[in-house]
Amino acid sequence: MASDQSADDVLEIRSGVVVKRAFQDWAAAVGDLNPLYFDADVARSAGHRDVVMPPMFLSQVTSRVRFLAELRPDGIPHSNTFGLPLPERRMAAAEETEFCAALYPGDYLTATRRLAGVEQKHGRSGDFALVTLEIAYHDEAGRQVARTVASIIAR
Amino acid sequence: MTEQRYFDDVETGEVVPPARHIIEPVQMFLFSSATGNAHRIHYDHRWAQSEGYANIVVQGPLQSALMARLLTDWAGPRGRLVRIQVRNQAVAFAGEELVCTAAVVRTYRDGGAALIDLQLAVTRAGAEILMPGTATVSLPCRADDAESEAR
Repeated sequence: MASDQSADDVLEIRSGVVVKRAFQDWAAAVGDLNPLYFDADVARSAGHRDVVMPPMFLSQVTSRVRFLAELRPDGIPHSNTFGLPLPERRMAAAEETEFCAALYPGDYLTATRRLAGVEQKHGRSGDFALVTLEIAYHDEAGRQVARTVASIIAR
Repeated sequence: MTEQRYFDDVETGEVVPPARHIIEPVQMFLFSSATGNAHRIHYDHRWAQSEGYANIVVQGPLQSALMARLLTDWAGPRGRLVRIQVRNQAVAFAGEELVCTAAVVRTYRDGGAALIDLQLAVTRAGAEILMPGTATVSLPCRADDAESEAR
């Protein structure tokens, strides 16, 4: 990924702390009772310093509080248009994440969301916009710990 | 999670034993709660029908989490999910059987890492592909263990 993107591409910067109880609630909801997520002794014997955050929990670390007043009748936030004039109906199309390091309770992450592209497409059920976002996650020391490229269909 | 898997023992073409899941509304509620997801198609049957769905829709991130779980269970405690890519091709409904599948397409070393590339799919009862994908997992090598024991 090019590192020379201008600051203009940045849509949003959010930060958050890895919370053990929050990722354990998530793992329990998935039904993923991996002892690395729940048992610090097991995690330490596998070389970790504490219980490990489930990798797929990543986007939750920096997610925003959902305020009722922000939600449309279908439960999706009004504001979720990335500053673009997008149609109402949006769905996740694809997502790729690289995990560079294990993350632990107390880790402080910053997520920088950039617009990577918007394409107008013609599909069987009409025209739509394909929006591609890149989210870079850094820890407190400024090291990149993960990176996501996500595409969203808006129609 | 089961026992440790080693890079040395994995071959291209190897199929990861699939995992079967039936996602019921109670689990969907817990997952929406854990992810702050208020999207109504995941809990309001009539609303889902008004958007053209036959039943409430299983969350895409729950499917990809189940897919990742297959890989981390297979890899064992010292394996690590390095990369995962998934595409939402079709939706799953509450009560349907989902099957998570993965097969090894490449084994290689990159710097100090011993890596496995896999082809993934979440299917509806082993038939229609709902979520295709790819992933990379790193595994320990038996030689690394022998070295650390010698020290």
